[in-house]
Amino acid sequence: MKALERHRKLTAIWASEEGFKGWFSTVNHNDLGRMFLFTAFIFFIIGGLLAMLIRVQLATPHSAFAGPEIYNQIFTMHGTVMMFLFAIPTFEGLAIYLLPKMLGSRDLAFPRLTAYGFWCYAFGGSMLIVAMLFGIAPDGGWFMYPPLTSAIHSPGINTDFWLIGITFVEISAIAAAVEITVSVLKYRAPGMSLDKMPIFAWYALITALMILTGFPPLILGSVLLELERAFGLPFFQADLGGDSLLWQHLFWLFGHPEVYIIFLPAAGVISTVLPVMCRTTLLGYGWIVSAAVALAFLSFGLWVHHMFTTGIPHMGLAFFSAASTLVAVPTGLQIFAWIGTMWKGRPEMHLPMLHILGFFFTFVIGGLTGVMVAVVPFDWQAHDTAFITAHLHYVLFGGFVFPIFAGIYYWLPHFTGQKRFFYLGQLAFALVFIGFHVTFLAMHWVGLLGQRRRISSYAPEDGWTAINLISSVGSFILAIGIALILIDVLLHIFTAHRGRRNPWNAPSLEWAMITPAPAYTFASLPHITRRDPLHAEPDLAVRLARGEGYLGTPRNNWRETLCVDIASGKPEMHVIYPTNTRLPIVMSAVTGLFFLSLLLKFYWTVPLALAGVAFLAWRWVWRLGHGHDPEMQPCGHGISLPNAATVERSPGWWGSAFLLTANATFFAALLFGFVFLWTVAPGWPPPEWFAPSVTELGTGVIGALVAPLALGHAIRVNRQGGAPFPSVIIALLGIVALGLACGALMWRAPAPTDHAYGATLLVLGGYGVFHATVAALMGGFLAAQIRQGYTSATRRAAFAIVRLWITYTSLTGLFILLAAHLPGLIP
Amino acid sequence: MTVILRILIAPLVWLVCFSAVYGLHALACDSAFGAFAGSSTARIVLLVAFVLALALQLAIFWYLHRPNQAAPAGFLRFVTRASAWTGLVATIWTLFPVVALSTCT
Repeated sequence: MKALERHRKLTAIWASEEGFKGWFSTVNHNDLGRMFLFTAFIFFIIGGLLAMLIRVQLATPHSAFAGPEIYNQIFTMHGTVMMFLFAIPTFEGLAIYLLPKMLGSRDLAFPRLTAYGFWCYAFGGSMLIVAMLFGIAPDGGWFMYPPLTSAIHSPGINTDFWLIGITFVEISAIAAAVEITVSVLKYRAPGMSLDKMPIFAWYALITALMILTGFPPLILGSVLLELERAFGLPFFQADLGGDSLLWQHLFWLFGHPEVYIIFLPAAGVISTVLPVMCRTTLLGYGWIVSAAVALAFLSFGLWVHHMFTTGIPHMGLAFFSAASTLVAVPTGLQIFAWIGTMWKGRPEMHLPMLHILGFFFTFVIGGLTGVMVAVVPFDWQAHDTAFITAHLHYVLFGGFVFPIFAGIYYWLPHFTGQKRFFYLGQLAFALVFIGFHVTFLAMHWVGLLGQRRRISSYAPEDGWTAINLISSVGSFILAIGIALILIDVLLHIFTAHRGRRNPWNAPSLEWAMITPAPAYTFASLPHITRRDPLHAEPDLAVRLARGEGYLGTPRNNWRETLCVDIASGKPEMHVIYPTNTRLPIVMSAVTGLFFLSLLLKFYWTVPLALAGVAFLAWRWVWRLGHGHDPEMQPCGHGISLPNAATVERSPGWWGSAFLLTANATFFAALLFGFVFLWTVAPGWPPPEWFAPSVTELGTGVIGALVAPLALGHAIRVNRQGGAPFPSVIIALLGIVALGLACGALMWRAPAPTDHAYGATLLVLGGYGVFHATVAALMGGFLAAQIRQGYTSATRRAAFAIVRLWITYTSLTGLFILLAAHLPGLIP
Repeated sequence: MTVILRILIAPLVWLVCFSAVYGLHALACDSAFGAFAGSSTARIVLLVAFVLALALQLAIFWYLHRPNQAAPAGFLRFVTRASAWTGLVATIWTLFPVVALSTCT
C-alpha cells in the first residue's frame, strides 16, 4: 500500500464528522486538545479583562469605578478563572494534544473520557461566566473561606455558583488526570521504556498523579460547604461542633499542590523546548525526573504555610516552614539543570527562547519571595498584603504563562503546518515582560507599605497612590502585550505560508508526522531505541508514513493502537478504540443537569439526573463488549498481540485503579475531617452519640467480607470455563447488605443539623451507600454480560475491573461502619 | 508498576509520617487530652514518632540500595535512589523541630 492510499484510508477511519457537527461527536485527541486550548485561552482573556478592571479600580484612591459588591465579584472571578478555567485546562489541553504524538501512540487511553472531560469543563466554566454576566458571581475570594462564605454571611446564590461550578469543572480535571496517567504508563510506542520517555511525559505523569491526589480534598470541602449552605449541616460552624479551619486545611491540601500542578507542566515545556533552542540535549535528565518527583511529594507537605497566622503552635509552624524551605532544593536543581543545558549548548534567540528567559528572570524572583514567606516571622508581617499577591503572580505568571507562551510559539508550526510571517511576537514579548514587572514589582512595594490584598479602595493619606498608579499603568502595558501575542498568533494561522515539517530540528516524536497532524496521528507506530528518536533516525517520519512501523495496514475500519509494559515498553496488547459518538456530550449535559438542579434547588430532578448518568454509563461500557473471543492480532514486525478485553489488567482496570486512587484520597480527607472535628473543633462532645448496633455492624461486615471473596471465586470459576453467575449474584448480595448497613447509619445518625458529629456520620453513611450503589450497578452489569454471552474464560477483563470496585467499596464500607459503631461498642 | 512504586515509596512514606507527626502534635497540644497535653510525655511521644519515621526511612533507604533490589536499568536505579535520599533528607529536615522547639506554645 502506498503512503497516500494509507493516509486516505486512515483518515476515513479516524476523522471526525465534517463541519460543526464534528465538534459535538469527536473523540479524537487532536480535536479535543485544540478545543481545550482554545476554550482555556478564551477564559484567559476573560480573566485578563477582569485583572484590568481590578487595576482600574486601584489606580486612584477612593475610586468610584466599582462598588465593593461588584469589586468582590471581579477579584474572585479573576482568581477563579485563572486558576481553574485557564491554568489547569491549558495543561490538560496541551497534554491531550501532545502526549500521544510524543509517546508514539495514535490516541490517549480513553478517547470518550477526553470528550466527556472537555464538555464538563466547557459547561461548568460557562456556568460561572453566566453568573458573572448576571451579577451573581462568587464574591468570597478564590479560596472561599467560611464563615464569610457560610449561608449566614453570604446568603445569596453567588457562593453556590463557585462550589457547584468548580466541582463540575473538577470532574474534567480528574478525567484528564486518569487519562494522562494511563496513557503515559501504557500507551507508548514499542521499545519506549521509562528511561526513553520524553521529559514532558514524565512531567505530565507526575502532574496527573498530583491532580488525582490533590483535587479530592477540595472537592470534599466544596461538598461539605454546599451541604452546610443548602441543608444546614454545620461542618464549619464553631457553635455546632464544626470548625472553619477545617475548610482551610481541605482547601490548602489542594491549594498548595495546585501551585506545583501548574508549574510542573510548564517546567515540562521548558525542559522540552530549551534544549532544542540551545541545539543540545537536556542536562541531567535523571536529576530532573528525580527533582520533579521530589517536588510533587514535598508540595503536599506545605499546606499549612498558608495558615501561619491561625494560631498554630511554634512546632507545627516549624514543620511547615522547614518543608517550605526544602522545596526550594528540587526547584533549584531544575533551574541549575536548565542553566547547565544553556551553558553546554548554543542558545539561539528565537521567540520561544525569549519567553524562556522571561520565565527564568521572573520565576526565580517568585521563588525567592516564596522562601521569604516560608519563614514564619516574615510571613506574619506580609500575610494578606499585596506582597503575597505580587509573589503568587511572579510564581504563576513566571512559572506558567511565560513557559506556555514559549510552548505556543514552539508548537504553533505543529498546530498549523505554517511558518511565522509577521514578527509582532518579539515586540509583544517586550511589552509583556516590561508590563508584568512594572505591575508586580510595584505591588511588592505597596504590600510592604501595608496595603491589604482585596481592598476595593484606599485613602490618599495612605501613601500608596503613586505606586498603585504605576502598577496600573504596567498592567495595561502587559495587557497590550498579550493582545499583540493574540494578534500575532491569529496572523500566523491566517497567513498561509507553508512551513517545513520539523522547523526546529527537534528530536522528539511529535515532529515525525505531517503538520497539522492528521486525525490518525501516526500512519504506523514507531519502534523506539533512543530518547531522541528523530536525531537517531532522521528519516523516521517518512518510514512511518510508508507503513514500516507497527499497525501500518488499516483493517476492518478499526481505530487501532498498542499498549506496552510499563517499565520495558515491550508490546503487551492490541487496543481497538471506540469511534465518534455524541455520548460524552450527552452524558456531560446530564451531569450538568445534576449540578444545576443542586444549584437552583430543584431537588426533584436530582435523582432523574443521577439515573440518567447511570443509564448512559451503562450504555457507554456495554458498547465495548465482545460477542465472541477476539483472536490474536498480527501487529507488524512479526508480533501478534491479544485484545485488551482478554487480559487481566486491561486499560479499564488501570483507569479504575487510578480513579480509585483519587477516590481513596477523597475518603481519607473525609476521615481526616472527622478526626479533626472530633479532636480540634470546639463544641465537642456532641449532645447525642450514635447508638451502635451489633446487628447492623455484623450485617455490613459480613457483606463487606463476602462480596470480594465471592467475586474472587467467580473469577476463578470463569477462568476454568465454569459458570460464574451464581458467585456474582452472591457478591451482589454482599454489597447490598453493606449498602443497607450504611443506609441504616444515615437513617439513625443523630440529627445532622444539630451538630457536626451527626452531619459527618450522615456524609460517611452517604459515601458508603453511594459506593454500594455504584458497585451493585457494576455487579449487575457483569451479571448481564454473563447472561448475554459477553464473557468467557478468554474475555475476562470486566471481572477484574468489577473486583477492584467491589473490593474498594468493601474496604471503605468497613472503615465507615467501624468509625461509626466502634466508639459506642468499646466500654 | 513495581518500578513506579519503588520510585514513589520513600517520599510517600515521608508524607505519611510527616502528616502523622503533625496530627500527633495537634493531639498532644489538645486540652481534651488532659494531663498529656503539652507535658513532657507529649514531647517523648513526638520524639519516639520522629525516631520511628527515621528508622522507617533508613530501612527503605537500605532496601532500595541493595544490589538485588535495585531496578535493572541504570536510569531507574538512579531515580529510585534519588527518591530514597529525598525521603530520608525530608524526614530529618522537616521533623527536626520535634527536637528543637517548644511543644505547644
